[in-house]
Amino acid sequence: MKLTRRQFTIGTLIAAGTAGMPVFAKAQGKKTIAVLFDGLYSPFWVAGLDALKQDLTKRGYEMVQAISDKDDNRQFEQVRAMLARKVDGIIIVQTDSNAVIPAIKAANDAKVPMVHFNRPPAKTDAFSVAVVADNRKITNATVEHMVKVAREQGGKYKAAILIGNLGDPNAIGRRDGFFDVVDKNKDIIDVVARIPTEWNADVAFAGLTNAFQANPDINFLFTSSDFLFPQIVQVMKTRNKFHQIGQKDHVIFGGFDGDATAYELLKDKYLDADGVQDLFKEAELAVNAIVDLQGGKTVERVLLDPGFAIHQANMAEVRDRMWGYSIYKQKNG
Amino acid sequence: MIATSIAGEARPSGPRRLLRHLLFSEYLVLYLSLAYFLAVLPFVPQMASAEVMRNILSDMLPLLVVAIGQTFVLIVAGIDLSVTSIIAMASVVGASVMTGDGGYLADSALAVPGAMIAMVLVGLAIGAFNGFCVNRLGMPPFIVTLTTMMFFSGAAIWFTTFHTETSSIANLPHGFVVLGQGNLGGVPHALWVVAAVGIAAHLVLARSVLGRRLYACGQNRRAAAVSGVPVGRVIAAAFLISGACAAVASILYTGRLQTGTPILGQTILLDIIGAVVIGGTSLFGGKGKVLWTVFGVLFLVLIDTSLKMLGLSLFSVFAIKGCVILLAAVIDAVRTRYAARF
Amino acid sequence: MALLDCENLRKSFFGVEVLHGVSFSLDRGRVLGLVGENGSGKSTTMNILGGVLRRDGGRIRLDGADYEPRGPKDALARGIAFIHQELNLFENLSIEENLFITGFPRLGAAIPFINRGRMRRRARELLEQVDIRHPPGTPVGQLSQGERQLVEIAKALSVDARVIIFDEPTTSLTRREADRLFGIIERLRGRGIAMIYISHVLGDVTRICDDITVLRDGAVVGGGPVAQMPTERMISLMVGRTLDQLFPERTATPTDTPVLEVRGVSQPGVVHEIDFTLHAGEVLGIAGLMGAGRSELARILFGLDSFKTGTIAVDGVAIEAPSPSVCMDRGMAFLTEDRRGEGLMMHATIADNIALASLDEYASPWTRFVERTRLGDEVGRIGQKVRMRAADPMATLVRHLSGGNQQKVVLAKWLLREPKVFILDEPTRGIDVGAKFEIYKIIDTLVADGAGVLMISSEMEELIGLCDRILVMNHGEIQAEFRRGDFDSGRILEAAMRRRGTEAAAAPAAAMREAV
Repeated sequence: MKLTRRQFTIGTLIAAGTAGMPVFAKAQGKKTIAVLFDGLYSPFWVAGLDALKQDLTKRGYEMVQAISDKDDNRQFEQVRAMLARKVDGIIIVQTDSNAVIPAIKAANDAKVPMVHFNRPPAKTDAFSVAVVADNRKITNATVEHMVKVAREQGGKYKAAILIGNLGDPNAIGRRDGFFDVVDKNKDIIDVVARIPTEWNADVAFAGLTNAFQANPDINFLFTSSDFLFPQIVQVMKTRNKFHQIGQKDHVIFGGFDGDATAYELLKDKYLDADGVQDLFKEAELAVNAIVDLQGGKTVERVLLDPGFAIHQANMAEVRDRMWGYSIYKQKNG
Repeated sequence: MIATSIAGEARPSGPRRLLRHLLFSEYLVLYLSLAYFLAVLPFVPQMASAEVMRNILSDMLPLLVVAIGQTFVLIVAGIDLSVTSIIAMASVVGASVMTGDGGYLADSALAVPGAMIAMVLVGLAIGAFNGFCVNRLGMPPFIVTLTTMMFFSGAAIWFTTFHTETSSIANLPHGFVVLGQGNLGGVPHALWVVAAVGIAAHLVLARSVLGRRLYACGQNRRAAAVSGVPVGRVIAAAFLISGACAAVASILYTGRLQTGTPILGQTILLDIIGAVVIGGTSLFGGKGKVLWTVFGVLFLVLIDTSLKMLGLSLFSVFAIKGCVILLAAVIDAVRTRYAARF
Repeated sequence: MALLDCENLRKSFFGVEVLHGVSFSLDRGRVLGLVGENGSGKSTTMNILGGVLRRDGGRIRLDGADYEPRGPKDALARGIAFIHQELNLFENLSIEENLFITGFPRLGAAIPFINRGRMRRRARELLEQVDIRHPPGTPVGQLSQGERQLVEIAKALSVDARVIIFDEPTTSLTRREADRLFGIIERLRGRGIAMIYISHVLGDVTRICDDITVLRDGAVVGGGPVAQMPTERMISLMVGRTLDQLFPERTATPTDTPVLEVRGVSQPGVVHEIDFTLHAGEVLGIAGLMGAGRSELARILFGLDSFKTGTIAVDGVAIEAPSPSVCMDRGMAFLTEDRRGEGLMMHATIADNIALASLDEYASPWTRFVERTRLGDEVGRIGQKVRMRAADPMATLVRHLSGGNQQKVVLAKWLLREPKVFILDEPTRGIDVGAKFEIYKIIDTLVADGAGVLMISSEMEELIGLCDRILVMNHGEIQAEFRRGDFDSGRILEAAMRRRGTEAAAAPAAAMREAV
């Protein structure tokens, strides 16, 4: 069937008419901030999105969100769509630290401030601000507490670390933070297993199982992320390694993130120490950065969340700043 | 005799005739796109801005190239699931050739053309392997391309680990990046590439001997074989074209992200096949046009863009997209049912 | 009073009246033959009776009561069963499941489980009535075409059908299966069931029907007891004129120039030591029963199937590694017996179908684009040559054409290549009388222009009427050769059935289909 000339004319007129329609003013003059996440794979990200939302609402901003679901190109398109929507700022958790650079450039061109939440981009000329946890320091503090426990108990330790995806600078920081401390304590700690996880729970499960098979006497364990706890606990249980602090076969156990499972394990005396990213602080830093940039102030390219380590000794004092504890409280009334 | 009587005798009047015309027009999906556009405009008025129009156009381009390749395969009643892995594999291979961080041809004048040739070769090679398995070993296209998809999505990640500590290969030469991103007076450079591919694909399908044979193989493979059509070679050609088109899409995607990444395109398989099928190309072969695929891609990108602009949560995005596509499918089913009556 | 009485049936499609008042009646225990060319209204009439279509006017009485079926199911409930040309059986299910698919006997009124025992007993009774000896649990997929037809009949009997309509029931049956079907029809007639029998095979119609009704252009143009309706009269009523001849006068005589030489071609289990020569200007027929290896030989000659030993030569040069495209390059063409499955793209246009085998010849040398104007002109010319009846070959889809016109499309596809050797496998199967004659004329013109035609047919009359020579195949071998002048249907049949002992003796004269 052929398109007749008249139909074509009508079609073009409609298209032209709508294209020329004036762009409506934004709703009620409220400022809009776009929050773009890679995915909501673990409680950490869910809590992060929530913390940002609370902070933004508190300050009277409107939040629009989009999730790229591990698709670099989709995230790029999402940034452009948000820029076209004339948002006042973008807070982003990028899918890939290299592939996000064109998006930063697009935001620069549109003069919209962009802040990276918890993940820094790769090196670039384009300007953006990254809020990151000081992974290395927090891990230092956490592992130092674990070593302290070990020294108090006495004896020699065989250690294992679950390492994250090394494309993620956070994973690198945590790995380095771990080795900073254990390398200084080589007299009692021998690292027998470095288990790559690619941030994948199944990979972690298989890797840890193999490590325990090769070294059944591992008794010092650190995971670069709390979201792997369920798999770790399962492996330890089947190997009869899951015992409370003070019991004979207890494995000195540390983690990183500060999620609700970590709190429960701490409370139940299975976990010795956990590095906590101060999510509430990070959300606040991110939104502050957007506000400052809009106000024309200069902002450092990297804003550090100092974080802290929570352990059996300081639990009661610092748990209110632990994001996992607030989730735990919500769940348990 | 019955067929002529529809045109000759039964002419319903006024609005019914218009409705019928719309329903049976090959521009149906274009009309649907227009209707959708008008329907979402009150919710996202910015959709009508020149900037969004440009975004829609540039988002369409790479998707359109892969979809055109897929159209060829669907016409011969095949399916190519490996296109997304071709995009990923070509992306990291191309980046490894030209990246300033120790690429094979780093800082050479040949870096960009060399990388682009390497990318197209990746596409052709995987396409040729698919074609060989389907044609010579008589394996079903679904299984063949499913396995190549799985293999090369893994291989792309593995390949990346040899070239970088991180998860992707960056520092691509400017000359390459411009192709994916640059524009001249608002017209993206990629448009010329895609237009060239599209016109060539249209000419092949509509005008060439190969085109006629592709349709014949999809319509009735046995009749084609009896009529001297080299069925195996024709089907292999469809997979080859699909592979090459996916590689071109990879060039555009890699250029716009300025990064060779092994997860590139991994989530767009259903968008690709969906766009082609929504356009009107049959999953059962023998029917399809480049123009239809253009409309299908337009429709999908339009939906996607509007949902991105709305800034809704991921779950509502999927739900709404599913509903709109379902609606389009229902309309298509209705029209096929009506068409069957005549 | 008649069992079924149709009066003045009318039906229009999209404002075009296709039935202009069709009337006929049918008594218990009688078989009514309904004949007519394609498009004469047979199918429409039967679809009305079977509840598939609703009539626009007229009246039907069944057993004195008004008959107004709301759908096929309703028609069946009133005792009218319609056995379609394409059977409606589920090949993956067993015979008994197929028989009771519309209403399985249950264990109890409220219990949703099948009463297997009752189903099996009832199935056995029904199968006995149609002479099927397979156990009721046999999957239908394992049955031959003829047996499937009988299962359909058993299905009709299972609902106590009073009228059974057969639409072209023998198209896909072998001769023996058809004979078996006729035996069953005979038996059903004895039980008082009335039947309507639709067929192009007028010999069959004469043999089993009691009365004949002839339709042409949606109206009844004649009819009466079969004794008063000799085949010639049926044909002239059907086509609306007297056909003085069924076959065209052959305009050329064969030359001595061989175009196709087949020497010692063998493929174990298929054909054995096939040896013959086809000359320019010759129509060489191949007779034989179904399964004698005729179609298999044709496929081997055209490179579709492989063979172990022997040579095939065109114009004196042997064909190495035959494949359809190689054979086509050497001037061969092949019209398959499976028109829908292998001959046509049903959903493509006439023009696309005709062009398919000649694309290379119409490709421009550089771009490989099809030269559409040149091709279109040629397609149009060929379409006229085969007297295609369709409004616009560029727009009309092949599936909208009648069987005869579809076959002309396949012929046109090959004529466009001007073949030197044309292998025709059952070129007139399922085609009405008028179109058959036209196809014969096309064959005659083709050989007059110097081509050689190898014609496989199951219709003896057709072979005798058209061929210069006839080879008879039997069990994969050429058994005999007859030349024009000493054709003798009895002796040809005898050669075709030799070695088959008792079966051959049973009914040699009826064993091959009498042709129209």
